[in-house]
Amino acid sequence: MDLAAIATEALTRRFGELTAVQDVNLQVAPGQFFGFLGPNGAGKSTTIKMLTGLLAPSSGTIRILGLDFQQHPVEVKRQIGVVPEGMALFGRLTGAEYLKFVGRMYGLDRETAARRAGELLEFMQLADQPKKLVTDYSHGMQKKLALAAAVIHGPKVLFLDEPFEGVDAVAAGTLKSMLQSMIARGATIFLTSHVLEIVERLCSHVAIIQRGRLVAQGSLDELRSTGVEAQVGGEDAPTHVEKLTLEDIFLRAVGGARAEQELSWLG
Amino acid sequence: MAGLEASLNPRLQLAAIAHVRLQVFLHSLKTKGGVLEFASRIFVSGLLTFGGLAGAIGLGVGARAFVREGRVEWIAILLWSVFVFWLLFPIMGSVFTETLDLSDLLRFPLSYRSYYLVRLAYGAFDPSTLLGCCWLTGITLGIGLADPRLFLWAALVLLLFALLNIFIMQMVLAWVERWLAQRRTREIFSIVFFLLMISLQLLGPLAGRFGGAVGSNLKVVGHQLTPVQRASPPGLAALAISSMAEGRPLISVAALGVLLAYAVLVLLIMGRRVKAQYRGENLSEAPANTSTSAAIPVKPGWNLPFLSAPVGAQLEKELRYLGRSGPMMLTLITPVIMLAVFGLGPARNGTFLTRSPDLSYPMGAGYTLILLTNLIYNNFGSDGSGIQFYLASPVRLRSIILGKNLAHLTILLGELLVVWISVSLMFHPPTLFMTVTTLAAILFALPVNLGMGNLLSIYAPKRVDLGTFGRQRASQVTVLLSLVMQALVVGCSVITFVIAGAIGKPWLAFLVFLMLAAFALLFYRWTLVKAESLGLERRELLTAELCRVQ
Repeated sequence: MDLAAIATEALTRRFGELTAVQDVNLQVAPGQFFGFLGPNGAGKSTTIKMLTGLLAPSSGTIRILGLDFQQHPVEVKRQIGVVPEGMALFGRLTGAEYLKFVGRMYGLDRETAARRAGELLEFMQLADQPKKLVTDYSHGMQKKLALAAAVIHGPKVLFLDEPFEGVDAVAAGTLKSMLQSMIARGATIFLTSHVLEIVERLCSHVAIIQRGRLVAQGSLDELRSTGVEAQVGGEDAPTHVEKLTLEDIFLRAVGGARAEQELSWLG
Repeated sequence: MAGLEASLNPRLQLAAIAHVRLQVFLHSLKTKGGVLEFASRIFVSGLLTFGGLAGAIGLGVGARAFVREGRVEWIAILLWSVFVFWLLFPIMGSVFTETLDLSDLLRFPLSYRSYYLVRLAYGAFDPSTLLGCCWLTGITLGIGLADPRLFLWAALVLLLFALLNIFIMQMVLAWVERWLAQRRTREIFSIVFFLLMISLQLLGPLAGRFGGAVGSNLKVVGHQLTPVQRASPPGLAALAISSMAEGRPLISVAALGVLLAYAVLVLLIMGRRVKAQYRGENLSEAPANTSTSAAIPVKPGWNLPFLSAPVGAQLEKELRYLGRSGPMMLTLITPVIMLAVFGLGPARNGTFLTRSPDLSYPMGAGYTLILLTNLIYNNFGSDGSGIQFYLASPVRLRSIILGKNLAHLTILLGELLVVWISVSLMFHPPTLFMTVTTLAAILFALPVNLGMGNLLSIYAPKRVDLGTFGRQRASQVTVLLSLVMQALVVGCSVITFVIAGAIGKPWLAFLVFLMLAAFALLFYRWTLVKAESLGLERRELLTAELCRVQ
């Protein structure tokens, strides 16, 4: 039996009185493109921070590629790539210097780090301004650079927090094709996004978190076919005959409803 | 369109802007930082009031004396001092502090006239304006006391002079704002002003040393500049007053007319800039360089022997970072400038250093170490959100810190060499004994500071921007503890030097420093190990503080 690429058990994080994430049990198989969804403040970022070592869990366990994160942090970090919320860039380096630095921190030798940095800059269309500092990059360019840095060491599991936020359509296309080719080569990708269309197009599996608890998890087809009632637990949730969109699934899972009220003075 | 007025009312818009500024201020008082800021403003306001009153009295007394002695035109000297202050103070403020970007208001349906008025009105409540007005009032009163017939005329002329100053300041600020909108020009501005301030410190010693020789030349230059001075706003204002005092009203009115023409011209030039903003010019942080050039093959990073890849990469990154920080580079030349300041005293009596040149090397070295305090005690401050990379990377925190500390050591060694050369050129080469004893003292002082700095960098991190001066306050805990630490280390070193000298065995100091260095290195090693666990324990605080958007 294959080990899960990402597995959490009763993962919980408390901030004083507030429980931001409670008893989350995630299972992501190797090679999956996994979307992690939730409304604002639901616990997505807290979860991804715990999964990448940026935040310590209050309780529960995290296993990445079968390794316990608490016990083997360095080994786990070597296998993963991360684009965190703040992008983790160093503004006063050039793009090439930053990528070489990241490569060497992940144990690549100087020549390999330089070669891969050059290739990634070309691929991301960032190579034509070699002397420009990262701090002078546009937001979209910084996102592309952060993603390039996250993959320079060839990670087996990639964590992306809102990777497409502020990225133009052309750059988003480049990023998507790169991520899909990584999946084709067996990598696992775990991403959070507010743009449900992107998740629906890219991800094969999703989990939805609401007020710190997982309210749905499974493949898109499973969630569509069951109308998410199996994991949402709503007795009234009807089984839909027609195909549900991810937006329908999401709204059902988080209990959201479209605003019916009209603002009469608008327009 | 229910509820909309038929036409926009500029007065209501201006009132709304004033109201929102008040709300922002009141909300800021709800935070601890805001209250501290407010308290410091009250303190600064007290200083400004004192400066305003003292300046007004001083300038008033000066003006009264000039008028009484029949040297009314000399009022130009007083007006020049007011003029220069009025111009420089706000520009320096805009370089060292964050200023309100009024172009944010342009997204509202604000007329060009209202926008122009907001810009002018905002400048009218600037501290420099308040001080300037206070001082001009003092000069007016001084003139009035000396010659009551001149009072009204002087008041009119100086009122126009004040308005002209406000307009000039706003015009200059509008252009400065344009240049400061981009990081590179902002940094160049910071460097220029830093150099200006440092050169001002050198004026005193240079005047003391060469004052007599250049005095006669200055008089010649002064005479040649007189026509230029008369055409300047302070010169014209002084001319308008002195001509009236001398019974030449036509010249006086003409001078006032030229002053008025200046004001109109300045408003027109400012209008051009404001119009450009109003039409939608982007003054925010825009991409600095849109021209593209061919991709250059990426060269491998530095090959640093004896260091592991992560430590070497970290050392390279730190040195690149610091090398690109203009303010940091300037800070590093400060020891040489301070040596010059203390070494260039009056030729006759000399300064402490000219009388005891042997002490210049240890003093220069100690000063260098103190200058590195901000860097050493806030290791991660310039990394900002990059701290997330460290925490997510498979590199132990102690390797990252070691790389940073090696960068600090490299800088210090470079600085010690520069100070040694400077001392040799300014005084005489430090003796071998003084050199090795100083280095032994540094061998003790540096590990203690690095170790303590590593712990405080994790306990009380503070995000800083290496590209700008000002607003770079370290955390209060760090400031306090680093001061205590420096006092202990410097005190300990001085006492060792003094005792060894007093008992006639100066070489003893060298041995004592070596012994202390051994303990210091053990302490440093312990902090590296401790930093590993401490960093993981406090990773939330590190990310929260360093990723904070400023």
